[in-house]
Amino acid sequence: MELNWSTFILEILNFLVLVWILKRFFYRPVLNVLARRRAGIEKILSDAKTLHHDAEALQAQYRGRLADWELERQQAREQLVREIEEERAQRLAALQSELEQEREKARVAEARRQSDAMHKAEETALIQAARFASRVLGQVACPELEEKLLGLVIDELPQLPAEQIAALRNNRGQIPETIVVASAFPLSDSQRQKLRKALIATTGTDLPLHFEQDVEILAGVRITIGPWVLGANLRDELRSFAEFAHDTRYS
Amino acid sequence: MEDIDILASVVFQIGPVAITSTVITTWLLMAVLGLFAWITTRHLATQPGPLQTALEGVVASIEQAVAAVAPQQAQQLMPFIGTLWIFLVIANLSGLIPGVHSPTRDLSATAALAILVFLSVHWFGIRTQGLKRYLRHYLTPSPILLPFHLISEVTRTIALAVRLFGNIMSLEMTALLILLVAGFLAPVPILMLHIVEALVQAYIFGMLALIYVAGGLQSQQLRQKTKE
Repeated sequence: MELNWSTFILEILNFLVLVWILKRFFYRPVLNVLARRRAGIEKILSDAKTLHHDAEALQAQYRGRLADWELERQQAREQLVREIEEERAQRLAALQSELEQEREKARVAEARRQSDAMHKAEETALIQAARFASRVLGQVACPELEEKLLGLVIDELPQLPAEQIAALRNNRGQIPETIVVASAFPLSDSQRQKLRKALIATTGTDLPLHFEQDVEILAGVRITIGPWVLGANLRDELRSFAEFAHDTRYS
Repeated sequence: MEDIDILASVVFQIGPVAITSTVITTWLLMAVLGLFAWITTRHLATQPGPLQTALEGVVASIEQAVAAVAPQQAQQLMPFIGTLWIFLVIANLSGLIPGVHSPTRDLSATAALAILVFLSVHWFGIRTQGLKRYLRHYLTPSPILLPFHLISEVTRTIALAVRLFGNIMSLEMTALLILLVAGFLAPVPILMLHIVEALVQAYIFGMLALIYVAGGLQSQQLRQKTKE
């Protein structure tokens, strides 16, 4: 158990050399590798954190975007609902207007129909009245009545409108050579002469008269000068009455 | 005792310097450790193999143990304390090899290590805090305690050297005596105990050295913090 100073000093030196050897060839390389690995791990962790932060930022961004989309969707839906309501209101108004027009049309059509029915009834009544009057007048028709009507014609001929008299005279070239005078009863010579004078005074020429008998006209005369027909008989008067009623309806 | 070759013997002499078997064994261990370190750390990869994993485990464990006691000076203390642990484990276990005696069964070697620990306490303390501030800690908390501090420095260094020397030398002597008395293979249980004792003594020596060094560093730091 004695202390050897040579060994003591050499052991000190040996240990210091060993410290240097292990530090140079063992601790430093291993610590460097550990440091590199730690740095790599730190870098991976840093990258992972960066990725995590990026992912969180993206997530927040997408959440915000989703919220915006949801808001836009809500606004678009509200806009659509408003547009649908407006369109519905417009269409309802248009339908209401169209319905009112249809109602007006129906009302006008109904009024027209009622008016037509009334006029038709009036026309029928007039026709019936004309028939009745024809029948009655046919029963009361007689030479005396015809004479009166002839006298009325003779009196009225000079009183025809000037235009009509001028037309009779100007269109004379187109008139047949004779003037046809139809009567329900045979005219006497005096009556024929009076009529001739009146016609000459009216037409301004002496055309031969052709007298014929037509019982259909009931009483009175019908004077045909080419296209001109002057009716002064019951039949034509009644027809004129009925045509007047008809013309009054459709005028 | 010299007859049974339990104590270190002088192998050869270089002038006044006597080269003992302890020194030669230490050189062999240094060569083995240096060669092993050089070979195994030539091609360290980022993706480690089994051997590299084991080496990294050893270094990381030493670093963590040092950092647990002295976290601020871990990088400075780690080579010294780590070398103490590694060398003592190998040196203590080398006694199991037939014909080889552990260097730590020589008081000269353990005293050399204890002196290194003693010096390193002051070296790291002065290096970190400066000479004046370091020496001031011997006067705290009261100058009356200065003799006790000085006695403590000496006795703990002696205890450090004698504890390791006594344990390893007694283990080897016990194994040798049993071999002489009981014959071949009889000391095997004692050799099993030798393994455990070698590891425990290496750990104790290194940990005490770490605590002494860290104590010299942190006592002043604690005073500074208290003043602040």
